[in-house]
Amino acid sequence: MRESWRRIRAVAGNTFLEAVRQKVFAVLLIFALVLLGGANYFAEFSFQEQFKFLKDLGYATISLTGLLVGLLGAAQLIPAEIERRTILTALCRPLRRWEFVVGKYLGLVSLLGVMLGIMGAVFWVVLRWKEAQLIGMEGGEAGVVQAIQAESRDPRLWQAFALIAAKLFVVCSLAVFFSTLATSTTFVVAMTLMIYLIGHLQSVAREQWLESGEKTVWFIQLFLSAVALLVPDFNLYSLIDEIVAGNLVPWRATLEVVAYSCAYVGVLLAAAAWLFEGRDL
Amino acid sequence: MTREQRLATVGFSGPTAVAVREKLGQGLVLAALGGFRGLAANALMLQAHGAWEEKQWVRVRSALEMATLLQPRVALFWDLASWHMAWNAAVAAERYDGEESETRRRIEARKWVEAGRELLERGTRAVPEKALLFQRLGDLYWQRLADYQAAAACYREALLKKDAPLYLERFVGYALDRAGEKQAALEYFRELRRSMGESPDPARKPEVVEREIRRLENEIRDTSAGRTK
Repeated sequence: MRESWRRIRAVAGNTFLEAVRQKVFAVLLIFALVLLGGANYFAEFSFQEQFKFLKDLGYATISLTGLLVGLLGAAQLIPAEIERRTILTALCRPLRRWEFVVGKYLGLVSLLGVMLGIMGAVFWVVLRWKEAQLIGMEGGEAGVVQAIQAESRDPRLWQAFALIAAKLFVVCSLAVFFSTLATSTTFVVAMTLMIYLIGHLQSVAREQWLESGEKTVWFIQLFLSAVALLVPDFNLYSLIDEIVAGNLVPWRATLEVVAYSCAYVGVLLAAAAWLFEGRDL
Repeated sequence: MTREQRLATVGFSGPTAVAVREKLGQGLVLAALGGFRGLAANALMLQAHGAWEEKQWVRVRSALEMATLLQPRVALFWDLASWHMAWNAAVAAERYDGEESETRRRIEARKWVEAGRELLERGTRAVPEKALLFQRLGDLYWQRLADYQAAAACYREALLKKDAPLYLERFVGYALDRAGEKQAALEYFRELRRSMGESPDPARKPEVVEREIRRLENEIRDTSAGRTK
């Protein structure tokens, strides 16, 4: 087991370094940082509105950049290795295929983790900057200062951050799953994006379909259940909207979503490893 | 958001996706699907702000209604939308130079106030755990519809929420007083003072409550003395 973990770490470290060297991720990071820094405008609104704009834009930037990094990174993982034939030199060593898949995923997740850390730190600085700016503008009245600080130092922002990370890790595992099947990066990107969109829509569609009052036959119910089981429900992560709106979201609910994400990542990686095991290279 | 909340908010029972598609452009639907609802709703809010500056009230209404449709749990949108309708648009309709008939201007203004009220009613069902929208609904009943009984009921409801501001507890009494229910207002203020105890929190302004009790007692005494004469 220890040997296995050592090999996984070697693959993950290699994947991380390889990804860091690619210019596209650096460009994406710079783009995200510029967007985060530039989110600090809309001065003509109330401070609650300004914080809502800032948080929405911040989370959207982090989500979008993370999504692109996950998609592009995972899409290049295995298909590019197969295309360059470098996979053969890796797999002829004492390295099991499932270790290769898990190592690749962990390497990608490490890259994503580092990028999320940098973006999170910049977002935190922007929030504090906004706080100082607003306190200066609104005056030093204790009640107002307290209300502004409650918005900028809201501990629930950590919950939102955890949810974004969990969502992106699921997207990465989806992309890794498709990359074990595919021979082209386009296929991986297209399939992952499609599942991402279906994942956002499926729970609402299913709920409305089943509760519309129309009689649903057994095979439709079976189909809906299969879709619900196979496609992750990305609507669960809309708890982030609740947090930005200032509504109470218990940590328990957040941890449930994180646990759901972990379960999906586990299942998807197991399926990816199983498929990759049988693949003729 | 539960199904009940969604029904209460959106106000229709058909499939959500279809209704959203009917109301929104394709780009916004994609944003809603992609988990970027907040950004789309903010864009609509900015659009409404621009329309407000140009006094395009119908555009203000449609943009903010769409924003509430995309993010029904954001109390800020309901609050802003109802303020634009019941105050800004209604006052603009009252003062509109293009209509000579005052009655027609008032009818038009009333329609905007009703639109604001309806938005707040839906908002209170979508975000029932917050005091803000109940308080705003109370303000609307008081300031725009002169329905002080309804205002008192809304303030009472707001006070049941955890985040209700302290000053709001006096508003129920003020509203009852304005509704002409002096005795009920007096009893309310007495009960409120009792609830503060022997050493009340100064933030609850016990001196203001005591002053209101004295004022109402005098007024009721004067009224009954006038009747006896």
